[in-house]
Amino acid sequence: MRKILAIILTLAMFGAVLAGCKKEPETITLKVWGSQEDQAMLQEMIDAFKTAHTDANYVITLGVVSEADAKTKVLEDPAAAADVFQFANDQIVDLVNAGALYEVTRNKADIIAANMEGSIEASTVNDKLYAYPSTADNGYFMYYDKSVLSAEDVKSLDTMLTVADAAGKKVFMDVSNGWYIASFFLGAGGKLTVGEDGKQVCDFNNANGAKAGEAIKAFTAHNAFLTGEDAVLTGGIGTTIAAGVSGTWNAEAISEKLGENYAATKLPEFNMGGTQAQMSSFAGFKLVGVSSQTQAPVAAMELAEWLTNEENQIKRFETRQMGPANINAANSEEVKANVALAALAEQNQHAVSQKEVLGGYWVPAEAFGTAMEAKDYSKTIQEMLDEMVAQIQG
Amino acid sequence: MRFIKNYFMTFAAGDIITKISYLIMGAGCFLRGQIIKGLLFLFLQASFIVYLFNFGLGQLKLLPTLGTATRVEVWNEELQIYEYVQGDNSMLILLFSVMTIIIILAFLVIYHLNIKTAYNNQLTKERGGKLNNMIRDIRSLFDSNLHVTFLTLPTIGVVTFTILPLIFMILIAFTNYDQSHQPPGNLFTWVGLENFRNIFWNDPLQARTFVGILQWTLIWAFFATFSNYILGMILALMINKKGIRLKKLWRTIFVMTIAVPQFVSLMLMSRLLADQGAMNVLLGYLGIGPIQFLTNALYARITVIVVNIWVGVPYTMLITSGILMNIPADLYESARIDGANPVKTFTRITLPYMLFVTTPYLITQFVGNINNFNVIYLLTGGGPLSLDYYQAGKTDLLVTWLYKLTVNNQDYNLASAIGIIIFAISAAMSLIVYNMSSSTKKEETFQ
Repeated sequence: MRKILAIILTLAMFGAVLAGCKKEPETITLKVWGSQEDQAMLQEMIDAFKTAHTDANYVITLGVVSEADAKTKVLEDPAAAADVFQFANDQIVDLVNAGALYEVTRNKADIIAANMEGSIEASTVNDKLYAYPSTADNGYFMYYDKSVLSAEDVKSLDTMLTVADAAGKKVFMDVSNGWYIASFFLGAGGKLTVGEDGKQVCDFNNANGAKAGEAIKAFTAHNAFLTGEDAVLTGGIGTTIAAGVSGTWNAEAISEKLGENYAATKLPEFNMGGTQAQMSSFAGFKLVGVSSQTQAPVAAMELAEWLTNEENQIKRFETRQMGPANINAANSEEVKANVALAALAEQNQHAVSQKEVLGGYWVPAEAFGTAMEAKDYSKTIQEMLDEMVAQIQG
Repeated sequence: MRFIKNYFMTFAAGDIITKISYLIMGAGCFLRGQIIKGLLFLFLQASFIVYLFNFGLGQLKLLPTLGTATRVEVWNEELQIYEYVQGDNSMLILLFSVMTIIIILAFLVIYHLNIKTAYNNQLTKERGGKLNNMIRDIRSLFDSNLHVTFLTLPTIGVVTFTILPLIFMILIAFTNYDQSHQPPGNLFTWVGLENFRNIFWNDPLQARTFVGILQWTLIWAFFATFSNYILGMILALMINKKGIRLKKLWRTIFVMTIAVPQFVSLMLMSRLLADQGAMNVLLGYLGIGPIQFLTNALYARITVIVVNIWVGVPYTMLITSGILMNIPADLYESARIDGANPVKTFTRITLPYMLFVTTPYLITQFVGNINNFNVIYLLTGGGPLSLDYYQAGKTDLLVTWLYKLTVNNQDYNLASAIGIIIFAISAAMSLIVYNMSSSTKKEETFQ
């Protein structure tokens, strides 16, 4: 039975080859996933792609799956996932481990040359390129109200807290969130890496980590400390909040609220057991990946490359204020004049790649932040950090 | 046993045609004139064999290992890409194996039916009777075999959409299908009872999480059930009381909370009670420091129970109103004459009567609350997260923990094992309480 099938298939293939001589445009069906906010922009890019590629008849459908949910949705059923999808770079290791990403080999040298080193590093796993960088703005920095804090004040967290408190205002940071809380540990020299066995290695509980932990404790216990969701920051800045840690996605809302007093800069230094240490951050990139199960790998790769080329990265900046990963696009005057992106670029010099952060990191880190915010001091900082690290490495 | 015995006895008693139909299905029909019916049997046998040898057996063969071949990369110089030759997909192997087993079982039923028909046909012929032709067979489907007509479709539906996935998911509990064994890139395999061992004692963190969450789940289910029950009943009693005016107005007001979809009220509550939410801002104006309704473990637990009362009481009020009106008024009258106070009448007359009638309702409520995903997930999201727990927070129930394990962590094996444990707990508890309840024991005495 198998043999008969094989013969029929071989004949069919010959037939296809012969028919191929006639040069009829074949129909290629592709599915693309992007976030809700990007839909209109992506549709324009896809239309432009179709116009530029007339060799085949492309049927490209667009679905809504945000960068943050991409890993979950893809791994739910890799066979049903989109051929081309946008995702945040912290998901890349998990995606590669599950065999969900197609290795990028076509035009590899061009892609590497066109984009920032950090973004390429973030798209690479085991020395293989697995994704196309599309933006370099998935990071955070400090927004502040110029009428309350001076450019000098925002260099030190302690000064910020004192000045803000004196003015009866708050300094906002979502400490109960693994993404933000890491800035203290990483600033203290902590490392998050992936070990040989593929498990997370974390040293946030060493002596420096403990100092960072104490700094978090002091920060969260301060009268001027405020935490919450993004909405708390965008709602309160200018009135009750003097400064807050967030990313470019809030730039528009915050600049509207602050008006003339709108300013942004890198994160401040914090008091690490007597010495001042610069707060670090996660440098995040948004990437475009191709599903390893795609039926049309070449077309999918061309589309992914198209969605992330210089022209379209500029388009992303113009329509959605997303910082480009493309070197030429990032060096344009418009990008450099953007307050939020400039602050992010400044902070990125102190940033750490988020690539080697595995899925198991977030919940324990958030649990530690939650305990700090709740001022739950039933255990010492060292004990809590030991527990946190044990769970992260679990 | 009876089937196997019949199988051989029929073979011994059968004539040559019946014997042939043991090998060639439908022979007992088409050799005796029932052409269409016989061919249908033959067609089923042929398609079963084709399915089994082309597909089914291949999957079953891989079932013991759940696949061994991983994906292979082949470099395509012309296109400058790797072409992936997909290896085995453990998940699909498991799924299709379960499907094949079900198909085999279904085939055996049809095979049995085939023999039975052949033998009955033989007996009818021997008696000199006339066999049903196709038209009469079809007519019988609307008469003596009506149950077949009505139940075929639902049965197929239940098997494909309920039983098959259920078996598949139960089997996952005995594999290592977790974050680091994701198909199609990786294979997973059988690990026996490893997951259960981990949850109960092997893995201290998981065991601690399981015990902690189980305790809270039971505490929650108890309070959520009985607070709603008692308070709903008291509310109904108060409204039903003689001399209360505008009864309909009060009932309408309380029932109005039902008109707002539950998840909307819960999301609103969660915003309202957040650390920086409206409630705390209000308290701030009054000079009361912010209360961590949702971020302090103890407060959060109290908050979910209280909010659940607010959401659930109207339902109990509606249900109990009717039953309360059924309690004979003379019971209350004689109690009053004997000088019983309202508390006494409640504990001696109302409550026993209500419990008698509503124990089964209470059991379903309790089990429902053990699995009450909505209230917990929408109100606190299981938070506040705790370092004591594995991927869980202090208000997480087993079912929300299960959700987090599958959706955030892809630990399907662990989640499946927990699902089985939840089922065992709910089933055991329901059966014991139900059998002990007076509704069952004194069923006859109900007047």
